[in-house]
Amino acid sequence: MKKILYVVSLLVIASMILTACGSAATEAPAATEAPAATEAPAATEAPAATEAASSEPADPNSLPRNETLYFNGQQWGSVVGWNPYSTSNNNGMAIAQQDNARVLMFETPYAYNMLDGQVYPLLADGPYTWNDAHTELSFGINPAAHWSDGTPVTADDVAYTWATHVKYNTPTGAANTAYIEDIVASDGTVVIKAKLNDDGTAVNPLVVQAYVSTNYVIQKAWTQTLEERTGGDATALLADTAEDVVFSGPYSKYFADDSKVVLIRDDNYWGQDASMFGKLPIPRYLAHTIFKDNAAGTTALTAGEVDVSQQFNSNVNLLWEQDGLPISTYLPDAPYQIGASLPTAFYNLKSPGLDQVAVRKAIAIAVDYPTIIANAMTDQSATFDQAPRSLMNPTAGEQALYDHAAVADLQWAGNDIEGAKKLLDDAGIVDTNGDGWREYNGQDLHYVATCPNGWSDWQAAIEVVAAAGKEIGIDITTNYPEWAVYQTVVTASDQPLPEGYDIFMMWSDGAGPTQPWSRVRHLISSEYVGMAGNWNGNWGQYSNADADALIAAIPGMTDEAEIKSAYTDLVKMYLTDVPSFTLMYRPQSFHTVNESVWTNFPYDGDGTNPPVPPMDLMDGWGVAGLYNLELVNP
Amino acid sequence: MKGYLRYFFNKLAWFFVTLIFAFILNFTLPRLMPGDPVAAIVSRLAQGMSDASGVQAIYQQYTELFGTNKPIIEQFFIYMKNVFRGDFGFSIAQYPRTVADVIKSSIWWTIALQFPAIIVGWILGNMLGALAAYVRGGFDRIIMPISIFLSNLPAFGMAIIMMVVFAVWLKWFPTSGGYGFDLIPNFSWKFIWSVIIHYQLPFWSIVLITIGGQAIGMRSMSIYELNADYVKYSRFMGIKDSKIISYVFRNAMLPQITGLALSIGTMVGGALVAEIIFSYPGLGSTILTAVLGQDYPLISAVTLIITIMLLTANFVLEIVYGVLDPRIKSTQAD
Repeated sequence: MKKILYVVSLLVIASMILTACGSAATEAPAATEAPAATEAPAATEAPAATEAASSEPADPNSLPRNETLYFNGQQWGSVVGWNPYSTSNNNGMAIAQQDNARVLMFETPYAYNMLDGQVYPLLADGPYTWNDAHTELSFGINPAAHWSDGTPVTADDVAYTWATHVKYNTPTGAANTAYIEDIVASDGTVVIKAKLNDDGTAVNPLVVQAYVSTNYVIQKAWTQTLEERTGGDATALLADTAEDVVFSGPYSKYFADDSKVVLIRDDNYWGQDASMFGKLPIPRYLAHTIFKDNAAGTTALTAGEVDVSQQFNSNVNLLWEQDGLPISTYLPDAPYQIGASLPTAFYNLKSPGLDQVAVRKAIAIAVDYPTIIANAMTDQSATFDQAPRSLMNPTAGEQALYDHAAVADLQWAGNDIEGAKKLLDDAGIVDTNGDGWREYNGQDLHYVATCPNGWSDWQAAIEVVAAAGKEIGIDITTNYPEWAVYQTVVTASDQPLPEGYDIFMMWSDGAGPTQPWSRVRHLISSEYVGMAGNWNGNWGQYSNADADALIAAIPGMTDEAEIKSAYTDLVKMYLTDVPSFTLMYRPQSFHTVNESVWTNFPYDGDGTNPPVPPMDLMDGWGVAGLYNLELVNP
Repeated sequence: MKGYLRYFFNKLAWFFVTLIFAFILNFTLPRLMPGDPVAAIVSRLAQGMSDASGVQAIYQQYTELFGTNKPIIEQFFIYMKNVFRGDFGFSIAQYPRTVADVIKSSIWWTIALQFPAIIVGWILGNMLGALAAYVRGGFDRIIMPISIFLSNLPAFGMAIIMMVVFAVWLKWFPTSGGYGFDLIPNFSWKFIWSVIIHYQLPFWSIVLITIGGQAIGMRSMSIYELNADYVKYSRFMGIKDSKIISYVFRNAMLPQITGLALSIGTMVGGALVAEIIFSYPGLGSTILTAVLGQDYPLISAVTLIITIMLLTANFVLEIVYGVLDPRIKSTQAD
């Protein structure tokens, strides 16, 4: 027995010494040798030296560092499937049909660019056109476009994709059938027919045109195989893991397990045609290690094991300022990222006192937003001095959509304690019994501010809101239920919000082809009042008939001045009634890069035309950045 | 033999009674949590969907699929029927992956990490505890405080310290993953070596914590045994110290074996902390995600496995004790 124990102990100690002395297979590359991000040349001039070589990998069991681009923050948990009809694939590298669609494996007709708000042809041939009545949208398919099996991508594929979405009531079908009557192929051209109002106008042309950059084109022949395999059963069709799927994009599945997912370049990708990118994307492999949390992802980023980071890296600037690492963000200085969405604090408008504008506005103007931005976002958000509050995100395109001067008097940057007190005093909401808390209708103003537990940036923001309340004589305490409970309560708009949900945080839309209209709608449209299972918005149950009318009218407007006037009016209403208020700006995707191995990532002012957006080289027009990468040491 | 058989069947009956109750609780408890797991899926699917009725259609579809719209009794009988066929159904959070697939893909990482760590920690801890009790003096004065320190150090603290020291500062070991971030699993020395080096930090972070607790327990038991009459008698007889230690070790080990069996029984629960800190694959973080996401089928399946393993370990122990120690058998059989 004793001998065995000795042997076991020796083995254990030896294994530790041996492994410690051995050369670690994952040793990170020298981190300080890369040039600064701002030194990269024009993004469209990638040198030939970094282009793909032969198509056969030298060692199928390893991913050569200088051929692989590593990501984090896209894939959490294991990949479930590769089915472009389903939204349950948990496949962060390959499938995301959204405002900025992920176009690495599957492609949309057009790619959205959040920087200029334009769409650029991907599978489509040239820009789309509307008919005179603005009821039908048409576009052709690039003749060079072909599927991974070599067959051409056709207008018929687009039409059959839509027909399948409708037939099987997929999430895409369910989301669009109220706006799209049909999609047909006519002489090689795709025609999207809008659903019409009684007066013959399109119900919502904005949603119709968004379809072309948010939804994939899926091969008809493969779809028919899938239908045959699943016997026409909708549940089975959506649950199919689609390992045999045919795709048109530049990358496809190479490997996936519980630890990582790897895509490999298709060297027959049609996009190398002169009519599209003219060459193949530079990295042969796109790999994503599955980290368990942000901290692990940040550690790998700093170790040079991640090149492109789509996750919140706390105090990201310290990585280059203090640690001297070759890490950078899209913007060289704060806010480091381009803000796109507006994390928002909603008021329960049925809570006693919160039905009063004075109370709502007083709390909102008293909040210390600079502290929220410094603590919750570690300065990775524009301040409200840089991008004054409205319903728009800080991108130039959206900022141009409302008249800043017309609403300037209504905007606030926060920390206005005296102004808040005056507002309440003027409204007669004062502390009459001397207990330190103001009263309304004889009741002390006590509220609970809440957000999901563990959402640390939101929790930090909510704490600041609570602190603001105390400064102005309103008692705000905090409570953090688990997300599973929180979302069940908040989305049940057919019932009154229970106690503990007086002020609560939810998200708003980011950047996309229907924005800012869709964000405005989700923030203040009364169509969500009383809705069971409300995953859309207006969770505080605000109702304003004038706002509803403008929200209904904007999609049909074509005159720019008219649109601007409508948005300005909506901003006025929002800032006057304060049914909710933005706490910070959050990027569409975090975009932080480590230039130990690869360089020439997109950055602000990189000279690309059209500008490559900071979408981690995979979403919308952001994919164009893959063609500009260069090796630090070719 | 008759007494032993009676003892055996008595234990077996209790095994099944406990299992039935555990089975019912495994099903009901997760479903008593407030919240709606299907809502969580739909909130994920609804991102970017403009049409409200479309969202609700999706919600109806999924409640139908997972049966969460049925009465809980009906859900229980469906569940029971399926489990007896070995079908735990679909995971809600990872739909359309089956629960069996989720467990199958991560359980081997957990067992490969936990089982050796528990065994090595147990062996080393008991050795050190027995030695400390026997040698006493300076050795004991060093081992005891270290053991108390280790056993009281939170698991996450130990894991973070090890990662910062050995992975970030010294760069001896990788910071995360089950194998090299630049490798694809294959049967080659390069890959196996990568697995070995990625294994070290999670492994030792568990072993060191285990050693502390085991050493303290073993030391106390050994001191008790060392003062027993048979030790004194052995010394008078002039028996070699090493022989005496082996007697002491064996006697003091009985309660430690109980602890070992129970640890092995619960190991499927996973080394949550080590898995999260080192982003190591395994079932622990899968269970945590399942609990937070109210993935009922996955929670029920994993807790059922843990229950069965624990009950089996307990049952085997009782039976082995019955054989080893006639006093237990006779007491229980009465």
